[in-house]
Amino acid sequence: MSDVAVLPTAPAASSDLAPAPRRRRLPKVGVLFAIVFLGTLVFLAWFGDYLPFMRGADTKIRVAGKLQSRYKQGPGNLAWWGSDANGFDVFSRCIFYAKNTLTIGVSATAIGLFFGSLLGILAGYYRGWVDRVVSIIVDSLLSIPALVLAVMVVRRLDDIKVDISALDWLTRKWQIIFTLSILAVAPLARIVRAQTMALREREFVTAARSLGSTNTRILVREILPNLVPAMVTVAATGLGILIAAEGALAFLGLGLDQSWGFMIEANRRRLDEAWWATVFPCLMLFLTVLSFNLIGDRLARRFDIREAAV
Amino acid sequence: MIVFVLVTFGVLVIMRIGSNSAPELAIKLAGKPLTEAEINRLVSDYQLDSNFFVQYWSWLWNLIVHQDLGYSPATSSTVWNLMQPRILVTLLLGVYANIMALLIAVPLAVRQAQKRDSWFDKTGSFFTFVGVGVPAVVLGVFLQLIFALKLGWTKDYFKFIGNKVYPWDDLGLHFRNFFLPTVSLAIPIAAIYARLLRSDMVQTLQSDYITLASAKGVPPRRVLWRHALRNSSLSLLTAVGTQTGTLLGGALVVETLYDLDGLGLRLVTSVLSSDLFTVQSFVAMIVLLVVVVNFTVDVSYALVDPRIRQARTLV
Repeated sequence: MSDVAVLPTAPAASSDLAPAPRRRRLPKVGVLFAIVFLGTLVFLAWFGDYLPFMRGADTKIRVAGKLQSRYKQGPGNLAWWGSDANGFDVFSRCIFYAKNTLTIGVSATAIGLFFGSLLGILAGYYRGWVDRVVSIIVDSLLSIPALVLAVMVVRRLDDIKVDISALDWLTRKWQIIFTLSILAVAPLARIVRAQTMALREREFVTAARSLGSTNTRILVREILPNLVPAMVTVAATGLGILIAAEGALAFLGLGLDQSWGFMIEANRRRLDEAWWATVFPCLMLFLTVLSFNLIGDRLARRFDIREAAV
Repeated sequence: MIVFVLVTFGVLVIMRIGSNSAPELAIKLAGKPLTEAEINRLVSDYQLDSNFFVQYWSWLWNLIVHQDLGYSPATSSTVWNLMQPRILVTLLLGVYANIMALLIAVPLAVRQAQKRDSWFDKTGSFFTFVGVGVPAVVLGVFLQLIFALKLGWTKDYFKFIGNKVYPWDDLGLHFRNFFLPTVSLAIPIAAIYARLLRSDMVQTLQSDYITLASAKGVPPRRVLWRHALRNSSLSLLTAVGTQTGTLLGGALVVETLYDLDGLGLRLVTSVLSSDLFTVQSFVAMIVLLVVVVNFTVDVSYALVDPRIRQARTLV
């Protein structure tokens, strides 16, 4: 309460519009969970090799020299989340594969963020034909279901790589990053465009222009900093969606073999005899996506951004 | 329309780029080794030796004039024969999922908005928040787990029994086949609808005409369902349009998960086997569905909102 007394807060003029203070507890708990979960996951995935209780992702479980294949081990002390069809530890696989999933998600979001905001800023600031062209591109991208586009592009990149030797660096991981970043471009461009259009009418932009600033300077120094909250928010939520898409791709057989989606696909037909091999990767995928959504939601409330796209 | 043309052209370029010579492309399109004559026929039929624009034009021309979407040598049938029975499967899946999503979302959201900030509202918001983010794969697996292990359904329930069971063939079997896929598709969408409708309803319920209606003695139930819901349903309608893409994308996963032989499963198979004609036409079909649904949504605004109807007649 002392904070309220010190800070010159505006008096609640219309009491019925003031937000109920109790509603703010839930998202904070959520964000706390998200940060703890993601932090633990990142720590275990990157430093798991040095931890005594982690088995390697490619170490088979043996009991008295006997291979524990064919789902022999259920969840328990020996293997926390059981063993899979080939006797690998489901827990360590789930943890170590997070590395792939998270790097793919973050890199794809970064690339998508760069191109998406570039398109969005240009369209929102210059309007005219730039805007029309960008809008058509964005509309077209949005009218193809994201997963359909992703499946198609990944597959084709595979083929193209065979034909053109200059693309040897384009491993599966990069193909997926590239594809997912295409998916991220359209929603980001859309929201950045909307925000830029609102910002360019503001007084400080007019002021900067009347002081003789060039367009580039206005864009970089005046508009871009104001776009950061919106970009970060959409990126956080988008990260969750991209990770879900990565899972779906792997599930459909177009992703990395070292990923949760592939684990689900490989084990799902044995759900009745070994639920752990399918359910735990699902849980990891679900909780990771949920964490990013929680963070995104919190940021959206914090910066008061209404979810337009995604 | 321009979106449709651009997208299908883009798909054609994506599917054909990188293969330089026409015979090579023909083999790629076929997905299997071909005889000289077959290659020549494919090249001349679909003008594979020309540039992308000519190829696109010939594809579009064949589509419009001959209703010919191309030939899929990988499966030894025309693309149309592959597509035609599957459109209905996916369409039904989408319609069922939408209906189920609306049946869940509308009562939930209305009740939440009515009892704003109550425990019901909060738990509802929690579940819809979780629901928005849950990936289709995860949801499908959890549903299978619940229905198989807890409720003791047999494994047969996860298989699409009897190829392409239409409602008029065997209604019971039809709904049994479609039940789990529908639920897996419906839940995320229901969550999105519910969140949108709730926030919109909360705003609507604060507006003056709602207060006026209540003051005039209109029963609360009528105020809620007729006055407020009708006004808020515009945003819901928009969401139905924007979620069509998500729905069809989700159909890819769900159909694979449940072996439901619709557009999605076939598309995945075709993509994996590089059956380019089929992919191109299937994606075109999916985009067409998205465009048509969004157009229908635009038109139906007028049905819901008299203001838009008035504006149209005035102009």
